[in-house]
Amino acid sequence: MIMYNYLRPDTIEEACQLLAQSKGKILAGGTDLMVQIRAQEEKLQDLKCVLDINQLKELNYIKKEDDHIYIGGLTTHHELQESELIQREAFFLSQAASTVGSPQIRNRGTLGGSICNASPAADLIPPLIALNADIKLRSIRGERKLPLISIFTKPYCTNIESDEILVEISFKILSETTKTAFIKLGRRKALAIARMNIAVALGIGDDGCIEEARIAPGSVFPTPDRVKVAEKILLNKKPTSELIAQASKLVSEEMINRTGIRWSTEYKRPVIETLANRALKQAWGVE
Amino acid sequence: MTVNSRPITVSVKPYARLIDVLRNELDLTGTKEGCGVGECGACTVIIDDRNVNSCLVLAASMEGKEIITIEGLADEEKLHPLQDAFIKHNAVQCGFCTPGLLLSAKSLLDKNSKPTRDEIKVAISGNMCRCTGYEQVIDAIEEVGSKAKNDI
Repeated sequence: MIMYNYLRPDTIEEACQLLAQSKGKILAGGTDLMVQIRAQEEKLQDLKCVLDINQLKELNYIKKEDDHIYIGGLTTHHELQESELIQREAFFLSQAASTVGSPQIRNRGTLGGSICNASPAADLIPPLIALNADIKLRSIRGERKLPLISIFTKPYCTNIESDEILVEISFKILSETTKTAFIKLGRRKALAIARMNIAVALGIGDDGCIEEARIAPGSVFPTPDRVKVAEKILLNKKPTSELIAQASKLVSEEMINRTGIRWSTEYKRPVIETLANRALKQAWGVE
Repeated sequence: MTVNSRPITVSVKPYARLIDVLRNELDLTGTKEGCGVGECGACTVIIDDRNVNSCLVLAASMEGKEIITIEGLADEEKLHPLQDAFIKHNAVQCGFCTPGLLLSAKSLLDKNSKPTRDEIKVAISGNMCRCTGYEQVIDAIEEVGSKAKNDI
């Protein structure tokens, strides 16, 4: 059993200072870290202390300013799910939040924690990738803002420095005509890690042509990404079942381009194609 | 912290989980450990009106919090309506999941006093039961919901 110390900073500044001095691990909701500590994961063998930041209310918020939405790193999955603002402006993010774990997990697990854990199967990450979200990191050296997509290096790994705290996630609000959809495939309806998931956004202009297309699958690439090649064939065309089928096929082909043929490809190829197809049709408004 | 409406002061090891402190320091053994990794819900307690897995919460982080365990559901000898309904509908077999289930049900009814069956299913989706097959549990919670006036 790993025995570690417990520190609880009163402010973000104190948290940054303690983090730099103590080389501890940030504890937010605990739904990932506590499991990893219990499993005595190798990366935690030398854990000296945890820094409990869960009570820093200044990191828990969801707000809209101009045409952007700003979410504090300690916002829980439950809060994302219930937020009227998120339901209105980024519905697939609230949908994704509602599929994570269980009510008990959603009441504790935070957005910041989910991102920093960087699971390839994370449900919140595909919508945020589709939204071109940015994150803000704070440390004693100051603050830096960077695209969410740039922090992922490989499964479960980010290039966030060990003395940095993820304080905020932000994104530009999608246009009024853009509709979103998120589908998660799991072995059961709750308490399921995604086998695969996908977040899409589709915006259809007055002329009936697709003017906005974003497709971000999860659990198919080593690091999360949008499938630009599939998005491209949709743009400036009128949506049809055939066109969506074409785009969906490109999603599965891109998966194979990036990860090669694996033991799971026979299953994943037709399934991610179908998930993409269903999600795009949902966003299009055709069930 | 406050546990079942009683102020409690206790010294805990920094790495002690809430479930450990509840069971070992406070002798509140109604909260059960089924998996220790937040996947079964047997350890469910209510912290500041939210149901959570106590196996994933550090006791040290509970300063200032209000905790309700299964021992806090009944009022002395008078059972909570949910407990009566569980008995009436045979929603208890081995009983291991029952404390967690009751607290998740209470959590639901505190926010949504007349839930639909689907809403009940989501509310208890974090509580695994190997015995009942859940139908009796849902029936029990639905009945309490149907009788709700203003608050439970």
